[in-house]
Amino acid sequence: MSYLKKAAVRRAVALIALVLLWEGLSRAGVINPFYAPPPSEVLRVVITLFVERTIFTHLEATFFASLVGLGVGLALGVVLGFAAALIPWVADVLEPIMLLLNAIPRVILAPLFVIWLGIEMPSKIALAVVLVAVLIFFAVYNGIKDVNQLLVDRVRTLGGGRRVLLREVYIPSVTAWVLGSLKVAVGFAFTGACVGEFVAATRGLGYLLQFAQSTYNAALTMALIFLIMAFVLLLFFCAEAVERRLLRWRYRGSGARAA
Amino acid sequence: MLRVIDLAVGYNHEPVIEKINLEVGAGSFVSLVGPSGSGKTSILRAVSGLLAPRAGRVELEGGSGSLGFLFQDDALLPWRSARENVALGLRIRKYSRPAAESEADGWLRRLGLGGFGGRFPHELSGGQRKRVAIAQILALKPKLLLMDEPFASLDAIVRTRITQELLDWVEREHLSVLLVTHDLEEALTVSDRIYLLSEGPPARVIRSYDVPIPRPRDIFSSRKHADFNPLLERLWRDMSAAMNLSEAAAAR
Repeated sequence: MSYLKKAAVRRAVALIALVLLWEGLSRAGVINPFYAPPPSEVLRVVITLFVERTIFTHLEATFFASLVGLGVGLALGVVLGFAAALIPWVADVLEPIMLLLNAIPRVILAPLFVIWLGIEMPSKIALAVVLVAVLIFFAVYNGIKDVNQLLVDRVRTLGGGRRVLLREVYIPSVTAWVLGSLKVAVGFAFTGACVGEFVAATRGLGYLLQFAQSTYNAALTMALIFLIMAFVLLLFFCAEAVERRLLRWRYRGSGARAA
Repeated sequence: MLRVIDLAVGYNHEPVIEKINLEVGAGSFVSLVGPSGSGKTSILRAVSGLLAPRAGRVELEGGSGSLGFLFQDDALLPWRSARENVALGLRIRKYSRPAAESEADGWLRRLGLGGFGGRFPHELSGGQRKRVAIAQILALKPKLLLMDEPFASLDAIVRTRITQELLDWVEREHLSVLLVTHDLEEALTVSDRIYLLSEGPPARVIRSYDVPIPRPRDIFSSRKHADFNPLLERLWRDMSAAMNLSEAAAAR
């Protein structure tokens, strides 16, 4: 058995042992089920949420806000990043704002977005957009600034002008940087949507989580935490698939041979 | 083919080279040797137009379109296959994609890389990448090759093999070459003329040497030519003297 397989088996065994231990201790009354309900109870709540179809409206709200926020944030980050890297006065104006936004925990803007945009979807999307756009802005801006000068010289000595440089060097180089940040961006978009819902909303996983917390429903809280983890992981895998597809030049197996 | 007249270049306020005069005749192989940091690469960059001269001028027959520049690093686009990399220069010259790629395949075959066209640079060995870079340049049918220590990173066997192949190609096609190298033996083996630069900055040409070894050349038999060792000794002595002189100046 390879080391990786052995490690996977060890992890699975440890996880199952932990769940069984938690279940046993909770049932035996060693830990208070009010604070830490047994895994079987958490699982029952998850199943109920789906069987009674109560979860779907919340899932729809959170996914919509996350994905729209991700798309708009990506587009905005790319446009602003290119503008700042290629037009000096844009960089002068944008860099301090972006540095400031990058330095603060951007979720503190959530109450302001609620005041400005109301408790419905737009305030959640706005928070996801801000979280994603700042990340992508720096990916693009640094991607262009750190572009391999040798490749620029190569294309110029082959006779390429600005358009060819943009197409052959800058855009692919920036794409690699942006895709490298895509997984983090997906997590940020989901965070933006959930935190926005947590602050003030009428539906969404964040809203449901806030409801569970205010009613001291630990089983529902845990069920939602696991659900959010599962969905973020699912989006992570989708982002990774996109990255591998678009950066296949980087991932394809190495077959180097002697000259 | 190429005349460099009173050329001076620098970065910011620092002069790197000044009053450089040199000539590369049609079909001749010229090398620039000198201590590290003497601005050899800057001369090539100025000739290719990558660097604007502060003074002097570059006269090039056929303009920049007749130039091919082989860098020390292979500088292939990592997101393009070997075929697309070779085709890039042709596409810039308005070849259609199928025409450029079929031409690129022909060049890859000629350089012993038939069947490797679909591979990305990271899937090739150092020697193979270097051949792709050579194919990329030769596909544009340059009249003058600028080479900046192009094989320095290769191991001895691959380096010798590729150097000989390129030498054969240059002789067969009557190409002119301006090679930058710090390897005096390599310079003597391949060149018709060698320019020695002083240790800058600012560096200048302090001497030139004609190498009377007949063509076509073979890397191994060139070294057995009667003029090879005396010339090598002279080059060594002159370069050491140039370096001692600047060390003495620095010590003062």
